[in-house]
Amino acid sequence: MSRRIVGPLISLLLAIGVGAAIYMSASEQFQEMNLEVVRGVSGSEKLPFFRDQRTIDTLAVDPFHLKLDVEKAGSRQIATSYNLKEYDFAFPAGIPAAEKIKQENHIKKSYQPFFTPMVIASWKPVADILIENDVVSVKDGAYYIVNMEKLLNLIIEKKRWTDLKGHEKYPANKSLLVTSTDIRKSNSAAMYLALASYVLNGNAIVQNMEQAKPLMEELGQLFLRQGFTESSSQAPFQNYLTMGPGKSPMVMIYEAQYLHEAARSEGAIGDDMVLLYPEPTLFTNHVLVPISENGQRLGEALTQDEGLQRIATDHGLRTKNIKLFNQFVKENQLAVPSYLVNVIEPPSYEVLEGMIQLIERKYTDDALM
Amino acid sequence: MIMRVLMVVFLSVVVTTTLIGCGEPQETLTVIAGSELKDIEPKLDAIAKTTGVRLQMTYIGTLDGADQIVNGHDQYDLAWFSHAKYLSLLQGQTKRIKSEEKIGLSPVIPGVKESLARRWGWVDNPNVTWADIAAKARQGAFRYAMTDPTASNSGFSTVMGVQAAFAGSSDAITAEDVDVDKLQAFFSGQVLTSGSSGWLADAYVRDQDRIDGLFNYESILMNLNASGRLREKLILIYPKEGVVTADYPLILLNDIKRASYVKLVDYLKTSEFQQWMMENTNRRPVVSRVKASSKFPKGFQLELPFPSQLEAVNEILFAFLDQHRKPSHSIFVLDVSGSMEGDRLNSLKRALLNLTGEDTSLTGRFARFRNREIVTVISFNDAVDVHDNFDIGPQGKGIKDLRDSVHGLHAGGGTAIYNALEVAYDIAGDARAEDPGRFYSIVLMSDGDNTSGSNYADFNEFYARQQQELAGIRAFPVLFGGSNDREMNALAELTGGRVFDSRKYSLAHVFKKIRGYQ
Repeated sequence: MSRRIVGPLISLLLAIGVGAAIYMSASEQFQEMNLEVVRGVSGSEKLPFFRDQRTIDTLAVDPFHLKLDVEKAGSRQIATSYNLKEYDFAFPAGIPAAEKIKQENHIKKSYQPFFTPMVIASWKPVADILIENDVVSVKDGAYYIVNMEKLLNLIIEKKRWTDLKGHEKYPANKSLLVTSTDIRKSNSAAMYLALASYVLNGNAIVQNMEQAKPLMEELGQLFLRQGFTESSSQAPFQNYLTMGPGKSPMVMIYEAQYLHEAARSEGAIGDDMVLLYPEPTLFTNHVLVPISENGQRLGEALTQDEGLQRIATDHGLRTKNIKLFNQFVKENQLAVPSYLVNVIEPPSYEVLEGMIQLIERKYTDDALM
Repeated sequence: MIMRVLMVVFLSVVVTTTLIGCGEPQETLTVIAGSELKDIEPKLDAIAKTTGVRLQMTYIGTLDGADQIVNGHDQYDLAWFSHAKYLSLLQGQTKRIKSEEKIGLSPVIPGVKESLARRWGWVDNPNVTWADIAAKARQGAFRYAMTDPTASNSGFSTVMGVQAAFAGSSDAITAEDVDVDKLQAFFSGQVLTSGSSGWLADAYVRDQDRIDGLFNYESILMNLNASGRLREKLILIYPKEGVVTADYPLILLNDIKRASYVKLVDYLKTSEFQQWMMENTNRRPVVSRVKASSKFPKGFQLELPFPSQLEAVNEILFAFLDQHRKPSHSIFVLDVSGSMEGDRLNSLKRALLNLTGEDTSLTGRFARFRNREIVTVISFNDAVDVHDNFDIGPQGKGIKDLRDSVHGLHAGGGTAIYNALEVAYDIAGDARAEDPGRFYSIVLMSDGDNTSGSNYADFNEFYARQQQELAGIRAFPVLFGGSNDREMNALAELTGGRVFDSRKYSLAHVFKKIRGYQ
């Protein structure tokens, strides 16, 4: 009796199961067949853009039909320790790393779809102290400019917050330091180094290691004295958002990180948080180096498609389409300059890498002491 | 025929379970986690329901966990510790951390008994410094509990914090930056150590009349104040130079599970979860839209810096063990009765020899006998045999003698546990009367019932008679083979110690763990 009922029931279940399995894999294959998979390796700061469903959807349909498979890696790592033959594109942050990749792989072409200036995330009371000490000024009544030469001088003289006028607002017996990422791993710290080396070199780009060497003691201090540094650009910014001014009063970040957070509906930017724009400053250009034809197609899509540029703008990135950026700033009521003057170029890959290696050596020497 | 039907039934079960699996996507992720995160457990069902991800937790100490992740064989999908700095330094080029997101905050701070805090003017006083605390410790006015920094993160954070505060700047710190004297003065106030922050809080409750306060997470101190178990409230002190804050990052180790990880993080950062966490575990929220409750002090706290190099961190830890902390006198009471013959005796010897420096792993080097330590070995069968007090010393003579003595152990005869334990307590009591500046503790390892000499009741009487002289000398019984669990638990309860079970882990592993309590 029971066996008779069990029998048909089992066949039914089997039929449903097998049918469902066939249906699911078929529909998946159907989708996959139309899309070309593009494999790339990119700095972590662009992953939220690539993972944005709007980006995925835009690239999946006409005229692109692309599906991205992106791995994250530090920009310096991409340039030095990746076998790029297995990828369709590399997408480091910073022109120096991109130049190195192009050189190594004999690639001439590259795309620069987005850029973002380096900025210092800080706090209202801290900015007030720096204004009182003539290091920071307010421009157009809206945003803050930090004089990098004056700031770096205070840091190199090992000044503490308690040495500054008006320090009651931030009564910390701590050295003035700008928190960065780990210079041995991450581009945003390398950009800080590029900026500082320019200022310490008498406002001139460091051209070679002869010029760099006399600056290294002071440049090294900027990083070694920080103690523990995080290895990806997202971590110090997250600390800034969650741990308050007691952790780090000044953090070197990409402008895009801050703007993206400020524009998010559940964003964590509070009333007492401010952005300081360094003067001089430099841009981090996000450079797509195509390795295959599909990599080229992606590069073209990102530089030319207005829809994709709009999504990038929502992630706080600037593109060549200034109108989109201004609109984004206005919609979100952000206090941001639309143009930056006094923008400098980073040194060549060889010089920047040479300086990083000298600092790297200081880390090991210190540990052995 | 029956076989065929069974086969078909089996197949149909496989198919139906697969179908159910498709309809209700639930995935299990393995998590290696700090033990203080046990307080998240009531929320695990809700997490599974909302995210479709079930967390399967395995608890371990922070440094031990970091060592496991980088060097161990077990692969976990996620890690969740009070902080990731040590792991981040230890991982080097292995890049085990694929992603990390901070979930909750809790500074490691001192809690001081209210009467003392009032007398010293420390209540609602934002200007109390680490140096003030050190001064009270030096005078013997502040006797505190703190965990072993090589076993537990709250002790680790305290040691790093003290080091940074005394170095007096926000610059990277190294072991050489600070006077040995200053640190010795600070740590001279420590009267209770342990391998876990939770156990430390319990031990403080038990001995609260003899101890003036403890270093622990703000969250645990708040829980203690709210527990009704304290005769005197603890005042939470936030030293002016700054604190070290645990930030509880959820770490992705297995990149294949990224999609589930992202779902988890999204949920853990919702207002709902953050609010629950703040109310139920006293950790501070990491998202600004959840307003910090009024139980947390207003204004910002400075954060002390942390070393940039693994070598510097390890140097600070070794300097703590070898120079700054109060040295210990560790007594081992070891069963060498007939039933220990063979494998049992061999594993006992291995466990002890590991502590003489033969275990060269990182955690092994932290656990080894230290150069100012005194080790007493007492072996027993029917008779009790007291080997020397081995003065470990920096020269290595003590280590060599101790090794010889361990190699010479052999099994035979009956089991006079409590005679041996009484001898151990006599030695410890006398030694402490003569040299009170040490930690005294007794490890008892026996594999069976007491068969001769005093029984447990006799020992209980012996202990009660000398309560005053012996208080604070804790016994740490190790459950092994056929040991009498009931009596061993009672013994731990009586002396304020803790039972360690070596039936689940090797004796070597257990001895290493006990080191956190010596």
